Amino acid sequence: MDNNFDVVLIAKVIPTLLQYLPVTFEILIFSILFGIVLGLVLAILKLLHIPILKHIITIYISYIRGTPILVQLFLVFYGIPALLKLIHIDVTRMDAMYFVIITYTLSNTAAFAEIFRAAILTVDRGQMEAAYSVGLSGTQAFMRIVFPQAIRVAFPNIANTMISSLKDTSLAFSIGVMDMVGRGETLIASTTRAFEIYVALSIVYYVIVIILEKIFTFNERYFNRYMPKELASH
Amino acid sequence: MTIDASFIVEALREISKVIPLTLFMTITPVLLGIVIGIIVAFARIKQIKIVTSILNFYVSFFRGTPIIMHIMLVYFGLPIVVDVVASTFNLTIQSTSIPILFFVILALTLSAGAYASEIIRSGILSVPKGQLEAAYAIGLTFTQAMRRFILPQAFGQSIPNFTNVFIGFLHATSLAFFLSIKELTGVANIVASVNLKFLESFIAVGLIYWGISVTAEWISHRIEKRVTAYSKGGF
Repeated sequence: MDNNFDVVLIAKVIPTLLQYLPVTFEILIFSILFGIVLGLVLAILKLLHIPILKHIITIYISYIRGTPILVQLFLVFYGIPALLKLIHIDVTRMDAMYFVIITYTLSNTAAFAEIFRAAILTVDRGQMEAAYSVGLSGTQAFMRIVFPQAIRVAFPNIANTMISSLKDTSLAFSIGVMDMVGRGETLIASTTRAFEIYVALSIVYYVIVIILEKIFTFNERYFNRYMPKELASH
Repeated sequence: MTIDASFIVEALREISKVIPLTLFMTITPVLLGIVIGIIVAFARIKQIKIVTSILNFYVSFFRGTPIIMHIMLVYFGLPIVVDVVASTFNLTIQSTSIPILFFVILALTLSAGAYASEIIRSGILSVPKGQLEAAYAIGLTFTQAMRRFILPQAFGQSIPNFTNVFIGFLHATSLAFFLSIKELTGVANIVASVNLKFLESFIAVGLIYWGISVTAEWISHRIEKRVTAYSKGGF
């Protein structure tokens, strides 16, 4: 193997890698959607101060934030079949994709729970009282008054979580999912050109992250449209 | 397969032997990253033309790509550079003699530098401009003002962010497993394959990472309280 850096190869493999982009997005979109819904539920449950449940949620969030996503992947990959075997369901032949989506959902749930909790707490208590005083019920007041304001505060953090989650999906190949990195690994095996393949992969990730960031900045402006100008600028 | 609780304890004992290596792989990049971060942050704030755009690209590229890419790019890219340099200057360095650990630490350092520079930049920018003007007004130079007024305040505010970087890179060291380095995840995988007890080993290694992360958060909370004690009655 000669050591010349092959630029043409990079350009040649990028289209091949891009064919596997839908897999990456599938993991990302499902885990973000489930994560947002479950995260919101956990955040509300935690804010309701239900004695034991509150501690369980705190431990769950602390554990997810305290362990690498790689370890979580392995735990889900080996743990879920072992758990389900206890109730005699055999999932050893299940597509690795499901394990990946479960792992990233668990991980994103913890992240979103913290984000939503912090965001809901930033909304002034008086807003809730004002909503009650005009006759809204608790649920109505939360859905129509508190939540829209909280989402504005939470949005930059949600965007950051999505971007770091996209980067985390690059580890899905380690339990055998054929995503972009997985395809890259097979290309390395066939071309023996590891460096060029990783450059190509990095370019793809970098471009996607930049596009996502542009979309998020645009959306952030939309969420801030009712804010006074001097506050909206930051 | 049922869960063997006694093996988790055994695996914990076995895996915890490499905690020092993992901590070394975390602390070195983070500390070097902070040094890079300070330099980069200042160069970007001072707006030196070409340098700024190069550094902007450095920061955005490393923040925009997964850390595993950095590790792989350095691991496969650096030997090419080293071999080319060695053959042009007839040096006796060989890329194969560089330990794999060096590649990992270099990659993590470059990555940490990008993350740290953003934290430091936002920390410095969060200190009101009036502080710098006040320092100038009593006759301090830029360096003095930075060292005595701006940086202490900036660091105080950045502590939670630095903790996140530390924990983030503690978790990133688990990626060294792909280059078969015997750090926590690598050893967990070995213990798992030797004994064919995958779940138990990964439960054990998860507990170790969790323990280190929680300890780091606790320490940082203590430091933060102490460092920001002065700013209690400021408003």
